[in-house]
Amino acid sequence: MANENKNSSSLSLYIFVFFSVVLLVLSLWVVWDDEFGLRPWKKYQADYKTMKHDKLEQDYRHAVVEFQRSGGHKKLAELEAKLEKAEAGFKSNETQEKFTKLNSQLEAAHEALAKSQKELRDLRGQFLETEYYFTKTQQPDYKSKMDVLQRSIDSVALRVAAQQKIEDSIKGSLSSLTAGTAAIRAQIATMKNGLEEKKEKIANNEKVPIEIKQIHIADVDKADRCQSCHIGIDGKNQVSGKQPFTRHPASFVYLDHHDPAKFGCTFCHRGQGRATTSAEKAHGNVKHWDEPMLQGDMTQTSCLNCHGDIKGLRGAEKIIKSTELIKKYGCYSCHKIPGYETVGDVGPLLTQVGTKVNYSWAVSWLLDPKKYFATARMPKFYFTQDQAEAIADYLFSMSGTTRHDADNTKNKPDAKLIEQGKALWAQSRCNLCHITGGRGGNNVKVYAPDLSKVGSKVNKEWMFKWIKNPNTYFPGTKMPRFRFTDEEVNGLVAYITSEYQDEDAEYKYAQPVEIKAASIAKGKDLIQKYGCYGCHKLQGMEDMVQVAPSLRKQGVTFLRNNEMREKIGMELSSIGSKPVDMLDFGKLKKSIPNDRLSYIKQKLRDPRGYRLGLRMPNFRLAESEINELSAVLYGFTDASVPTRFLVPSRQELDRMAGVPSYKFTGDFAKVIADVKCTNCHAIRGIGADYAPDISIAGSKLQESWIRNFLANPDVIRPLLQQMPKFGLSSGKPQAKVTMPRFNLGQQKVEDTNKTDVDVVINFFQQELLSSDIPKEIPKINTIAMPEQIAKGKQLYDLKGCKACHQIGTEGGALGPNLTNVGNRLTQGFIFKHLENARKFKADIVEPNYGFTETERIYLTNFLMTLKLNAK
Amino acid sequence: MKSLPEITDKVKKNLIWKSVFRRDYRNTVRDRAQAVFGNVFLHLHPVQVRESAVKLRFTWGMGGITLFAFIILVITGVVLMFYYHPSIDQAYTDIKDLEFQVPFGVILRNLHRWGAHFMVIVVMIHMFRVFMTGSYKAPRQFNWGVGVILLVLTFLLSFTGYLTPWDQLGFWAITVGTNMGAATPLLGYQGPFSEYLHITPYNDVRFALLGGAQVGGNALLRSYIWHCVAIPLVATILMMVHFWRVRKDGGISKPQK
Repeated sequence: MANENKNSSSLSLYIFVFFSVVLLVLSLWVVWDDEFGLRPWKKYQADYKTMKHDKLEQDYRHAVVEFQRSGGHKKLAELEAKLEKAEAGFKSNETQEKFTKLNSQLEAAHEALAKSQKELRDLRGQFLETEYYFTKTQQPDYKSKMDVLQRSIDSVALRVAAQQKIEDSIKGSLSSLTAGTAAIRAQIATMKNGLEEKKEKIANNEKVPIEIKQIHIADVDKADRCQSCHIGIDGKNQVSGKQPFTRHPASFVYLDHHDPAKFGCTFCHRGQGRATTSAEKAHGNVKHWDEPMLQGDMTQTSCLNCHGDIKGLRGAEKIIKSTELIKKYGCYSCHKIPGYETVGDVGPLLTQVGTKVNYSWAVSWLLDPKKYFATARMPKFYFTQDQAEAIADYLFSMSGTTRHDADNTKNKPDAKLIEQGKALWAQSRCNLCHITGGRGGNNVKVYAPDLSKVGSKVNKEWMFKWIKNPNTYFPGTKMPRFRFTDEEVNGLVAYITSEYQDEDAEYKYAQPVEIKAASIAKGKDLIQKYGCYGCHKLQGMEDMVQVAPSLRKQGVTFLRNNEMREKIGMELSSIGSKPVDMLDFGKLKKSIPNDRLSYIKQKLRDPRGYRLGLRMPNFRLAESEINELSAVLYGFTDASVPTRFLVPSRQELDRMAGVPSYKFTGDFAKVIADVKCTNCHAIRGIGADYAPDISIAGSKLQESWIRNFLANPDVIRPLLQQMPKFGLSSGKPQAKVTMPRFNLGQQKVEDTNKTDVDVVINFFQQELLSSDIPKEIPKINTIAMPEQIAKGKQLYDLKGCKACHQIGTEGGALGPNLTNVGNRLTQGFIFKHLENARKFKADIVEPNYGFTETERIYLTNFLMTLKLNAK
Repeated sequence: MKSLPEITDKVKKNLIWKSVFRRDYRNTVRDRAQAVFGNVFLHLHPVQVRESAVKLRFTWGMGGITLFAFIILVITGVVLMFYYHPSIDQAYTDIKDLEFQVPFGVILRNLHRWGAHFMVIVVMIHMFRVFMTGSYKAPRQFNWGVGVILLVLTFLLSFTGYLTPWDQLGFWAITVGTNMGAATPLLGYQGPFSEYLHITPYNDVRFALLGGAQVGGNALLRSYIWHCVAIPLVATILMMVHFWRVRKDGGISKPQK
C-alpha cells in the first residue's frame, strides 16, 4: 500500500514537473513574442539605421578623399603649422607680459564699471520711488529731491559711458593680440566644416531611437503607424530601393502638398493604419478589414474625397480620365451623383423621333444598340422583340400614328449633287466629331454619333431640317449650325444618305402600318419602369424621379438637403465605403473575391447578375473601362474627412461667395447657341480643352486676323498638334486638325442688324480681355525704329528661336509659324508672352530666356514686322 | 556580531511579522487547521476533504476549474479596463491598440476572450455532471437553484462582453439578442399582450437593456457596466453562497457506496 502510494506520488511529481516546464517555456515565448515577434518594425528600423549609417559613412569617406585630392589636407597642414607659429609668437615673453597686463587692466576696468552701473541702478530706483511719492502726495520736498537725484543720475551715467569706453578699448587691444591665431583657427574650422557636418550626421543617426512612429489626427482619432516600417517614406534621400525603406514616389506632387504630419497615410491609401504586427494586417489585406490598402494609380481614387474639382489636378491624371466615363455613359441620369446636377442629358431628345428615324431601325436599336455601331453608348436592356416594338410604338405615337420606314436607297440623287456634298463634308470637317467608316471623331468628348450607317436610319426631310438648324429639333444639342444655304444642305443630304448606308438594313414598314393603342400603353409602362427619361427628354415625363439609387451621399460639394431628390430602390449612397457585409452578392453563381471592389466590377460587368428583377441595363463596358469606372465609384465615400482638408470646386467657392457663374450674354449668347464654340474651346472656364482656350483672345489676337481666320481657318502649329503628348495631359488630339468653317458673316443675328462675325469680334474685343496685357508697349525714343527692329532680329538669331519657329521657309516647326505673326498677335501679347509664357499657358514648352524689358521691346518690334502680304 | 538565530529572532518576534505571518508552518494537524481557520480564502474551503471526493473520475473537477477561469477573467478584465474606453468612438480602436500596441496586449485580450469561452463550456459540463450524478437531489436542491442562476449570470457576462469590442459581430449579436427581448411576452413591444399593456419600443425590456431604441453609445455603456461591475459582483456573492452551501450540504458530492 505504502509502496503504491509512493509510486503514484512520484508520477504526480513527473506530471507536475512536466507542466511546470511547459508553462515556463510558454511564458518565455510570450515575452519573446511580445518583444520581437509582434514588433517587426524594430528590425526594419534597425536595418534602416544600419543602411543609413553605411550611406552616411560612405558619403563621409568620399568627402575625405575629395578633400585630400583637392589638396585640402596639405592646405590644412600648412594652416596648422601657421597656427603653431602664431601661437608660439603669442606665447613669447613679451606678448605674454602684455597680455597679462592687459587682462589685469581689463579686470580693474570691469570692476569699476560694474560698481558705477550698480550705483546708477540704485539711483534710478530711488528716483522712481521719489517720483511715486511725489505723484501721490504732490509735496514739493519730493520734487526737489527728484531734481537732485536726476543730476546725480546724469553725472553717473556720464561716468558709466566713459568707463565703458575704457573697457572696450582694453578689450580691443586684447583681441588684436589674439587676432592672428583666431583668424587662422576660423580658417581651419571652415575648411573642416563640411567634413564635420557629415560626421555629425553619422552621430545623429546613431541617436535616432527605435520606436513606434505615429501620426495622430486628433479630430477623427486616426492613428497612422505606417512610418514605423516605412521609415524612409518622407526622407530627403533614398536610402534603399527595397520595401519598406523606399521614399514616396513623386513625393513632390503628393507629399509636398499633403504634409504627412497633417494628413497621415490612410486618408489616401486606406489600409489599417493602427496595425503594426505584420504587413498583411497593416495593409488591411486580412479578413474583416473592409479597406485594403490602395496602391499605385488606384490611390488616385482618394483625390475625390477632398477635391471638389479634380479638373487639371496634378497627380490625379488617371482618376480624371476615369471620371470622364461618368459623363460618357451618363451614370448621373439614373443615379444621384453630387457634382453632376448641371450636366446635360446623355441621350437626344425623343419627342419627335418618329419624324426622324425608321421604325425598323428604332426596334433594332432598342434590341441591341451595339449592333448598329460598336461605339454606341446606349446600354442593352435585354428587351424582347415585343417590348422593343411597344417602346418604339409609344415613341412614334408622340409624332404620328403609324410605323413607317423611309428607304433612302431608292431615288438615287444626282451624282453632281453628291460630289458637291462630299466636298462640303470635307470642308466643314464633319469628321472632327463624327466617325464614318472607322475614321474621325477626334473631338471625343462631344460624343457625336457614328454616321457610317446613318443613311439607313433617318429620312432625308428630317436630315435637311437638322443640318439647316439643329436647334429647332433639339435645343441644347452639341451640333453647330453651319449657316449653309439650302443648296449646300441638299448636297450634304444627298452625299450622306447615299454614301453611308447599312447593307443589312431592313425596311419592313416601307408601307406605313397603324400603331395599336394597347402597344402604346405597354410601351409607356416599360419606359417608366426602365427610366428612359433619365437620359432622353420625353414629353410628359420631365418631372419623373431618378430610377436608380444615389451613388454618392455627401462629399465635397456641400450638397444642400433639399437638393436630394427622392430615390427609388436600394440605398447605395457612398458605395465606396459601404461595409462588405452589407453588399448583396445574392444569386451570383460565379465566385468572385468577397470585397467591395470586386463587387462593383462584377456589377458593371453583369448589372442584373446579383438578383432577379434588377433593372440596370448592361453597358457592355470594356474591361479597361470597368477598371476605370470602378475606381471612380470606389472613391465615392462618406469618409469622415475633416473640413479643413476639403478643397471646394471653383463653382462651389463662387456659390458660397455669392458670385454668379460666368454666363454668355447679349448677342454673342445667340451666336454661341448656334455655333457651339465651347464644344472645342474653353472660354472663362466653360467648355472643352480640345482647342485652345480663347479666354483672352481679345487681348491676344488682332481683329483683322480673327476675321480672316474665321473665314478661312488654317493650321497655326503644324507639328505641335501632331506630336503625341506622352500622356502628360489629357484630351489632346493627335491628328492634324483645323477648325471647321462655320460660314460666319453671311447672316444677321436674330433681332439685330449686325452680322454674326461682327458680334463675335465685338465679344472678343469687349469681353475676352486680360488686364495683364497692355494695348501699347513701352517706347524707346533714343533709338530709331529700324535700328530697334534690327536689334530684335539679332536677338532672334542669337537665342536660336528658329530652332522651333518658322519664318518664311526657314526654321523649325515645333512652335507656331511666325511668318504672319505681325498680323496675328497684338504687340502687347507678344511683349508679355516673352516675359513669362507660362502665365498664359501652364504647360507651354517655350523656355523662359529672362529677357530684359529693352530686349523684349526690340523683339516685339521685330516680330510685329513679320507680315504676310502686308497691305 | 549577532548569530543568525539571534537575527532571525529579532526579525520574527515583533508585531509586524506576527500580524502578517500568524503561525508557524510545521506539519501538524493543529497548524494545518490554523492555516485554514486563519485564512479568509481558505476558510471558504473545508478543512478536510474526503479522498473519494477528489477523485477526478467522479467530479471532473469542473466546479473548481470554473472558479479558476473566473479568477483569470477577473484579473485580466481589470487590466483590460485600464486600456478601454466604453465609447463608440474609441472602443474599437482601443481593442485594435490592444492587439497592436499595448505590451502583452495580445495575450491579455486572448486570455480574457478564450478564458470566457472556456468558462462557459466548463460551467455547462459542470452542470451536466451534477445532473448525471444526481447531485441536485435533496439536500442539495437549493444549491442547484443557486447554480442555475450562476449559469445564467455566466451567459449574461458572456453576452454583455460580446458588445464591448464594438465590432460588427458584437453589434449584430446584441441587435439580435435584444430583439428577442422585444419579442418576449409581457416584456417586449413585439411580444404578445404588448398592446394591452401599452408596451412601446420606448418602455420595454429592450429599451432598458439598450438605454435607447437602438444599439448605440448607451447600449455600449450599459453593456460595459453590467459586464464589469454589476454581474461580477452578484456572481461573486452567489459563488460564495454556492461554495458555502456545498459544505453545509455535506461536502462535494461523492459516489454512493
